[in-house]
Amino acid sequence: MLPNSEQFSALLSTLSADLVAFLPELILAGGITLLLFLRLFPQLCRVHSGFVAAGVVALALTTLLGNGHVTTNADWEPGAFTGLLRLDLFSQFLRGLLLLFTLLLLLLCDQTGIPDRDDSADFCVLLLGGTLGLMLMTSANHLLMVFIGLEMASLPSYALAGFLKGQRTGSEAALKYVVYGAASAGVTLYGISLLTAVFGTGNLVTVTQGLGHMIADSESVPLLPMAGLCFLFVGFGFKLAAVPFQFWLPDVFEGAAAEVSAFLSVASKAAAVGLTARVLLLLQEANPESVRLAETLGIALAVVATITATWGNLAALTQTNLKRMLGYSTIAHAGYMLMALSTLRKDGMAAVLVYLVMYLVMNLGAFAVVAVLRNRTGAETIAACRGLIARSPAVGVSLTIFLASLLGLPPLGGFVGKFLVFSAVYDAGQAYAVAGSPTLEWVYSLLLGVGIVNTVVSAGYYLAVLRSAGLDEAEATDASGHALPLGEPWGVAVYLVGLSIVLLILGLVWNPLITLATSAIR
Amino acid sequence: MSDPTNLALLALGLPLLATILAAVMGTCSTLAKWAHLPVVTAFAGSAILALLVLSKVMQATGSEVAFLSTAQTWFHAGNLQVDFQITVDPLSALMLMTVTFVGTWIAVFSVGYMHDDPGYARYFSLMALFVFSMCLLILASDLLLLVAGWEGVGLCSYLLIGYYYAKPSAAAAARKAFLVTRLGDVGMILGIFLFWQAGGYHTNFDKLFAHITANPPDSVTLTTACLLLFCGAIGKSAQFPLYVWLPDAMEGPTPVSALIHAATMVTAGVYLLARAMPLFVLSPDAQIVVALIGGFTAILSAFIALAQHDLKRVLAYSTVSQLGYMFMALGAGGPVSANLVVTAAIFHVFTHAFFKALLFLSSGSVMHAMGNVIDMRKFGGLRTLMPVTHITFLCGAAALAGFPLLSGFWSKDLIIDMVYQASEHGGSHATLYGLVFLTALVTAFLTAFYTFRAYFLTFWGELRTPPEAGHHAQESPLGLLAPLIVLAFGAVLAGITVEPFAHGFSNLLVKAPSVVLANSVLHVEAEATHPHFDFALAGISTLLALSGMALAWWHYRTGIETVPAALKSVYRLSENKLYVDEIFNGMFVKPAEWLAVLSRLCDGLLDGVARVVSFIPRLIGALLKPLQNGLVQFYALGMVLGLAVFLTVVVVRTSQ
Repeated sequence: MLPNSEQFSALLSTLSADLVAFLPELILAGGITLLLFLRLFPQLCRVHSGFVAAGVVALALTTLLGNGHVTTNADWEPGAFTGLLRLDLFSQFLRGLLLLFTLLLLLLCDQTGIPDRDDSADFCVLLLGGTLGLMLMTSANHLLMVFIGLEMASLPSYALAGFLKGQRTGSEAALKYVVYGAASAGVTLYGISLLTAVFGTGNLVTVTQGLGHMIADSESVPLLPMAGLCFLFVGFGFKLAAVPFQFWLPDVFEGAAAEVSAFLSVASKAAAVGLTARVLLLLQEANPESVRLAETLGIALAVVATITATWGNLAALTQTNLKRMLGYSTIAHAGYMLMALSTLRKDGMAAVLVYLVMYLVMNLGAFAVVAVLRNRTGAETIAACRGLIARSPAVGVSLTIFLASLLGLPPLGGFVGKFLVFSAVYDAGQAYAVAGSPTLEWVYSLLLGVGIVNTVVSAGYYLAVLRSAGLDEAEATDASGHALPLGEPWGVAVYLVGLSIVLLILGLVWNPLITLATSAIR
Repeated sequence: MSDPTNLALLALGLPLLATILAAVMGTCSTLAKWAHLPVVTAFAGSAILALLVLSKVMQATGSEVAFLSTAQTWFHAGNLQVDFQITVDPLSALMLMTVTFVGTWIAVFSVGYMHDDPGYARYFSLMALFVFSMCLLILASDLLLLVAGWEGVGLCSYLLIGYYYAKPSAAAAARKAFLVTRLGDVGMILGIFLFWQAGGYHTNFDKLFAHITANPPDSVTLTTACLLLFCGAIGKSAQFPLYVWLPDAMEGPTPVSALIHAATMVTAGVYLLARAMPLFVLSPDAQIVVALIGGFTAILSAFIALAQHDLKRVLAYSTVSQLGYMFMALGAGGPVSANLVVTAAIFHVFTHAFFKALLFLSSGSVMHAMGNVIDMRKFGGLRTLMPVTHITFLCGAAALAGFPLLSGFWSKDLIIDMVYQASEHGGSHATLYGLVFLTALVTAFLTAFYTFRAYFLTFWGELRTPPEAGHHAQESPLGLLAPLIVLAFGAVLAGITVEPFAHGFSNLLVKAPSVVLANSVLHVEAEATHPHFDFALAGISTLLALSGMALAWWHYRTGIETVPAALKSVYRLSENKLYVDEIFNGMFVKPAEWLAVLSRLCDGLLDGVARVVSFIPRLIGALLKPLQNGLVQFYALGMVLGLAVFLTVVVVRTSQ
């Protein structure tokens, strides 16, 4: 049954509108092709691919920001490309965040010299490919797209994790990552097939509508769709590194280059959080009056959040390797974000979007310091930080700001994120109490307490690094006993100081960001 | 520039600019010795501008004179709106003039006194900041802006008293000054916010006064708030029981003492109460407390001043005593109309600024010559050695003692008159005001006696100089003497020219908006604009002053101190400052130290507990470590088990 000419032209005009909105992804795809082509011509190899890739990402970012016609989420109600993607403000926010992060990461890579010129084309292709997959994750509106996005993001990540050639730990970590990722992908795919089987479609809206009504209305929910949903969350949990899907993360972070760790810790997490938030929001929208969803899935997520944050923080306390410690801190932060997600409320989701922005800046900064340390001292341990402030004020002070922000001290961005998350949790407890569920009030109050205690515990390892950097004597000294300068290139110093200043500004002026995040959720 | 507020803003800005310039010059060793230039210039400029401002205020017509600068929002949070705005009215114009004029001459004196000091630039920078803070305090239109100046004054006093920070006694004195005045400031802030709450959430003076006088809160709140505000004044203006910091404050360089005592710090409390007169007249109970505290402080410190050996300490206690007079006058507001008591207090601030600055600078000149020795037992008979200093000191001492026709005589007499009138019309508090009146008279006698005791011990009898003086023992150079001479003329003539016949102060201050408002609260008719001279009272106070001076001459003309056996115990009491420091030490400092020791013990205990608690997460972390064993099979097992648990929980809960 072919469409008639009128329907055909209507479809064409929707298609062209969809393509315009999809332009950033197309540009990335074009950039990947371009980078691969450049390798064929030896003359062109002299151009460092990092610059080309950064240019491509910058172009994509400008295009995305120029997409002014997406003003409300209602514009995208049916979804683009016959409902496969949902290029609304929410996805706009996260895609912008991902592109911005990739751009910053490419600039950092250019400064730190990982990868070298020979490998840079491969590295950049993988990075852009991963970003493309993550962007698809954030805008997926169909279970198929969810899976494609997850896999498109995961496969380049496996390769990136083992990118440091000739390093045993890196290769081993990459292999573990692949095995673990494959297992979780299998479970996810099983969940998707279950859901599709029950609801007859993979469209996320239809599936979540059906599920939401099932949970809210019926006395008992059939096992099949519930299992499907849980299996789906395995894939998200793997990307988020939530307990019990976090085992791969410390090993991979320790084995991979700091730049790659930054990518895995920030970009993967942003996309996973976005996707989870979208699914949870759709579920809640299916039946907004009912507290049953919160009483089942919300409590389960709160438990996972509690365990994840506590696990990450406790395990980080005993670490000596800086990257591994930051890996556990990543797990702990995933826990904080899950706390906000577990509220299943719009202000919780908005809080988590703001949290992601802060998290992007501070975690990127922390990993950048690790990269600098690796380049200048050859070690990535906490001991390598000794006397860092004396050796290099710019790096030392920046590290102080990043870690203080990760800990959540005002007036830095991390405090804002944590504050918004905690207040969202508190508000959720109050709101659910009004809605008639004292259990939930109790649960969210407990969750708030867990978050606060965890923050205190996290001071133990963040401050240990700062003590080492600020108070301990530097190991490398000159003849007269003065600390040797670290000798970082000025570009890196400018980069780090710039990130610190951004973090400080974000900690002081956060109203615009909240407005933006709230409009992305509504 | 015709608007007086612009002139006043400029007068405010110049010292701030000088602060920055002097501080910058201090960074360069060749420029540092010229650091006095911007400061003296700025002070002189401010004084001229203040004079212009005053003349504008005097020319202005109408029953109320006030010029307000355009308000700039300083900060705004909820109900609290604080503007940066300055008020030029008769009260602030007169104070500004006094402060900048006396400040200028003290700065000039400092140029000679502080030369070759290693911290020369720091000294002048802080002086300028001190004067700036005081000007800000005076010109502020808002209570919280006044607090900004108030705290600036406190900070600068701390830094300048502790100027010789390597000297332990100076550091201790600075700390004492800061902490003791801080005690009062706590009360003041509480008072401000009590008024803020009761006064329609205004901190702006005019709006607050208008609101409070239109809707007076209940008398308990009002009295509490007034007394809390008065706490700030007690601290800053060194009244009982918080006066203890002022005598120690002479650890700073002598010109700093002159600045603190004459111009920039201790008068702040008097000014605050004069400014807040509309609030205080609403509460007669608060007013009698003010008068009683003033009276008690006056006689207490006058008694202590009787037997001090340190010349500067005598002067310091005399300042405390004279400030007590000012508070007596202010406390009389209510029974007596507001314009009269404010005139009396501010007029005394004015004359006191001259003669106290003069006395301190003269003693500085003595100290300069005596090789920094200031103990009157170690020198004497200096009138032949230092003739100019001798004459200027005599002028100041006579003015302080209330010698007829000198400036102190007029202002002190006015205050005694106010207190007398209050005891006549004081209503239920008449007896107490009568007590204050008697105190004022006795204090007048004591003042004359101790002032001239110090004068005779220093300048009369045989010439004696301490060994520390060496060949330095000679008259000070002209650079030090010039300010003394100028101030001596002020001490002699400032009183008679301004008020008793010309009524410069009373005619001007009656037009200050806060005074007008206070009068309208009291329902006072406008006819009593200036005080009439009471010959009987003047006669009594003259007699007391002269007899005090005569007694001092009779006993101390030899320049040697002898104590009659009968008075030994009284003398000891005075010499040891009535053991007030010791009492405070026993009452507050010792218990605080015990508390500190106790806290330390508790801290040790808590520290142990905290260590144990902080060990727990580490322990659990170490227990979790083996789970991360690097075996991917185990990881997969963990994943599957976790998923199973998660699924079971969700399914079980949804099936309930």
